[in-house]
Amino acid sequence: MSWIGRLLGRKRLEDSLDRELQFHLDSRVEDLQRAGISPDEAMRRARLELGGVEQVKERARDARGTRFVEEWWSDTRYALRAMSRAPTFTAAVVVTLALGIGATTAVWSLIDALLIRSLPVERPEDLHALRRVGNEDGTYRVSYPMLQRLQAAAPTGVLLSGMSATVRMYASTGAQPEGVIAQLVSGDWFSLLGVRPVAGRLMTRADDETLGNHPVAVVSDWYVQRRLGGDRSIVGKTIRLNGASFTIIGVTEPGFTGLSVGTAIDIWIPTQMQHVVRYASNVSTSNADNRQPWVPQEGIAWLTVVTRMSADAARAAAEPLDRTFRLAVQDQSRTLDSARAVYAMREHLVPEPFARGFSPLRQQYADSLKALLASVVMLLLIACGNVAGLLMARSAARSHELAVRVSLGARPGRLVRQMLTESLTLALIGGAAGVLVARWGSNTLLRLASGSTAAIPLSVPVDAKMLLFALGASLLTGLLFGLAPAIRVHGISLHDAFKAGGRVLGRAGHRLPLGRVLVVVQLALSLLLMMTAGLFVQTFQNLVGIDAGYERERVLSARIDLSAGGYTSDRLSSLQQRLLDAVRAVPGVQSASLSLTGVAGGSMRISGFAVPGRVLPADDNNGQENVVTPEFFETVGISLIAGRPFGDADRFGAPRVAIISEATAKHFFGTRDVLGARFGYGSPPEFEVVGLVRNARVNNIRETPRRLIFYPLAQRPDEYVTSVEVRTAQRAETVALAVKAAIASVDASIPVREITTLGKLLERGLIRERLVARLGSAFGIVALLLAGIGLYGVISYSVSRRMSEMGVRLALGASPGRVAEVVLRDALLTVAIGLAFGALLSLPAMELVEKLLWGITPHDSRTLVGAITALLVVGSVAGLIPALRAARVDPVEAIRAE
Amino acid sequence: MTTSKTDILQGTLDMLVMRAVADEPLHGYALVDRLRIVSGDRLQIPQGSLYPALHRLEYQGFLKSEWGPTKTGREAKFYRLTAKGRKQLEAEVADWKELAKAISLVLRTA
Repeated sequence: MSWIGRLLGRKRLEDSLDRELQFHLDSRVEDLQRAGISPDEAMRRARLELGGVEQVKERARDARGTRFVEEWWSDTRYALRAMSRAPTFTAAVVVTLALGIGATTAVWSLIDALLIRSLPVERPEDLHALRRVGNEDGTYRVSYPMLQRLQAAAPTGVLLSGMSATVRMYASTGAQPEGVIAQLVSGDWFSLLGVRPVAGRLMTRADDETLGNHPVAVVSDWYVQRRLGGDRSIVGKTIRLNGASFTIIGVTEPGFTGLSVGTAIDIWIPTQMQHVVRYASNVSTSNADNRQPWVPQEGIAWLTVVTRMSADAARAAAEPLDRTFRLAVQDQSRTLDSARAVYAMREHLVPEPFARGFSPLRQQYADSLKALLASVVMLLLIACGNVAGLLMARSAARSHELAVRVSLGARPGRLVRQMLTESLTLALIGGAAGVLVARWGSNTLLRLASGSTAAIPLSVPVDAKMLLFALGASLLTGLLFGLAPAIRVHGISLHDAFKAGGRVLGRAGHRLPLGRVLVVVQLALSLLLMMTAGLFVQTFQNLVGIDAGYERERVLSARIDLSAGGYTSDRLSSLQQRLLDAVRAVPGVQSASLSLTGVAGGSMRISGFAVPGRVLPADDNNGQENVVTPEFFETVGISLIAGRPFGDADRFGAPRVAIISEATAKHFFGTRDVLGARFGYGSPPEFEVVGLVRNARVNNIRETPRRLIFYPLAQRPDEYVTSVEVRTAQRAETVALAVKAAIASVDASIPVREITTLGKLLERGLIRERLVARLGSAFGIVALLLAGIGLYGVISYSVSRRMSEMGVRLALGASPGRVAEVVLRDALLTVAIGLAFGALLSLPAMELVEKLLWGITPHDSRTLVGAITALLVVGSVAGLIPALRAARVDPVEAIRAE
Repeated sequence: MTTSKTDILQGTLDMLVMRAVADEPLHGYALVDRLRIVSGDRLQIPQGSLYPALHRLEYQGFLKSEWGPTKTGREAKFYRLTAKGRKQLEAEVADWKELAKAISLVLRTA
């Protein structure tokens, strides 16, 4: 019989063993009786010779080799029975654990999705991206001619493929255009990645050869599922992208959404089609005209180069690629002035592992998620402490039962194992429930993190890795909180347990020190969590409180896309005027303006400048440009310090003017006295400064104010503005719909992406801080409560054990107040020790979150004092309740019970 | 009962049990009797250890058990030696003889 069969045939074997031993005893008794011994005596002797039927059975079972599993099974059943007998206790423990394990798993699975998981492509470890390093902000972008040069220089067999940044475009297959995420890629991009089509075919090199000549598009399965309800018959149909027609040639396999984690691509088109769809994001230009097609231009860097080669091959290829890159850069820098040439020559090109793809989310959330994981693990530890306390109290209450079992021959090790089985069973049930919590929690977290109604398209599947993590967390948890009661079992003394007449007494003077230790640890960890919560909340408040340099609540910003409407540059001016007129006519609107990039909207254009008579460092000569209508400053609330705003005189053909911010003035001219000063892209300097405005944080609230440069839209009539700013008399939200309608009344085909206040846009940049502050506070409060409950449990347990002592004290004349004081002092001493440890621990621990803080030091004393005060208050309450109970003890009752 | 009780050397119980059932299948109680008689009342098997040993040997595949009627007509569990057990027994007996020889040599010279 096999081992498992033996286990399954357990019942039969047990019967057989019974009968076998019975037969032995019967035979022996018969023999003895035949020898003239009385039946009773014969039975006694037979048993004596055999040496205890149960012991023999036990050893025979051992010999069968299935005993461990048998006992484990019976332990588990015993544990389940014990749990069903105490449903409230069980429910409390399971819910606590489910929340703890679930929250930990949720945060972990986000970390996995964002920071650990590789791209869903063939052999992701072989993917590399070429990165330009040497200057402080490394970049991946190169020009198309550079890509071709690198392809030629690459070792044979090594493919190099280019891809643009991901960009929002407007697509229509029928009526209404809708926003999609698009990317421009080289023809061999898909074959390099090893992505296969699920319908149709993917692009090849032949689809990306001549400028403007390849109106083909590949869509992702994600797009087909989400927008077309899974209808793959879209292959062969036409789709309009930003006004241009493309033929859909294929659909990528499910699961592949591009190389940017957290950004799912809907549609890919060839790089040669850049100017056709007017792709214009993420670009650095020098000596180039970005209104002309980008593909042939040397000075426009817009493509990230990805390649597939083993780590060894990458090392070997690095040198020739870098040499090619630098030769070309050297060649081009002859036309640059010396300062820029020096800047350019500092650069090198290096292959960088790319197995996990790009992730703006990763950069943004890595530290926060790690901090949250640490917090949630601490929370789990605190919860473990409470569960351990509960189990310990229960095992203390059961010490009589356990003593009986020991005296009946159970080995202490066996009892320890049983206690552990109970804890592990509890933990596993909690863990199973935790997986559900995790599933819900990670989606909620993602929604919170994405900050808008549309969740970030990041799949956080319930996969083997996540289940394994949950299982590991459950087992560890079970061991952690199960160990304490198990240790206690080991210490059971039969003598004491029975001496107390079945009542719980424990060892003399034994004050549950293990419980104390647990509570001290809980308090210390709670202090850490309270501190981080306080720091995160203050960071958020600090950030919200920063003066942005403009009005937030009464200014709306509407994001529009004129290029999607198919407007050509010659029709732009009149369209812009009609837009302004329509919006101004909306009741409640005080003023309105148009601008190239808007405020707090996330897009920016940065250019390098020259100032006559001043030497600006080549790598620090840039400013952030915006092109605006005259009322922009008045509308947004950026105040003018000197000079004048733009006016009607600043029209096309008139002398070119600019308004600059304080930061620009200081850096470019070293003075605030800048009216009439000149600067430009080269020489002669094109622009005359006519106004100076206050600094403004136009990109996000935490930046140091950028160097801002504004131009009048009238002097750059072919710019496609993307933002309408509206200043309102009353609450902005009420006007938003009317503004949207006004824009649509000018031309219904102009997509309005969103319309919201500048304040809301700014807060979007603080999603991370808000998320961390909210979750951090939640964790802190839960930790505070758990620690309070833990302390309450330990103190009230010790009070119940010291009832008679209290009775004696009272009988001897101690006042109830004095008795309460003894208990309370005991509680507060425990709190003090815990807080002292916590404060010590906080010194190194808070350093770890420093990166996430703003405007506050990690060792902020007010925060520390605040956290300590909160814990002291909770600790006092937790100690006061049992203290009052102790004071109300009836001395006669207490002493009689002894 | 016999008074001259000889402690059974560690590890030799298995060998004795196998030898006892080598000639014919026996149940546990008969096995005790058999060993006692064959050894001229010198060996008293600790009965508490007998059954675990039988179960262990069966688990190892040296013995095989079967329920069958005794001479008195009751049902008892009979153990017999398997082929694998016979080989094991031979090996153990050979080892034992070697050891006994060695020990007696030592005792003679010392």
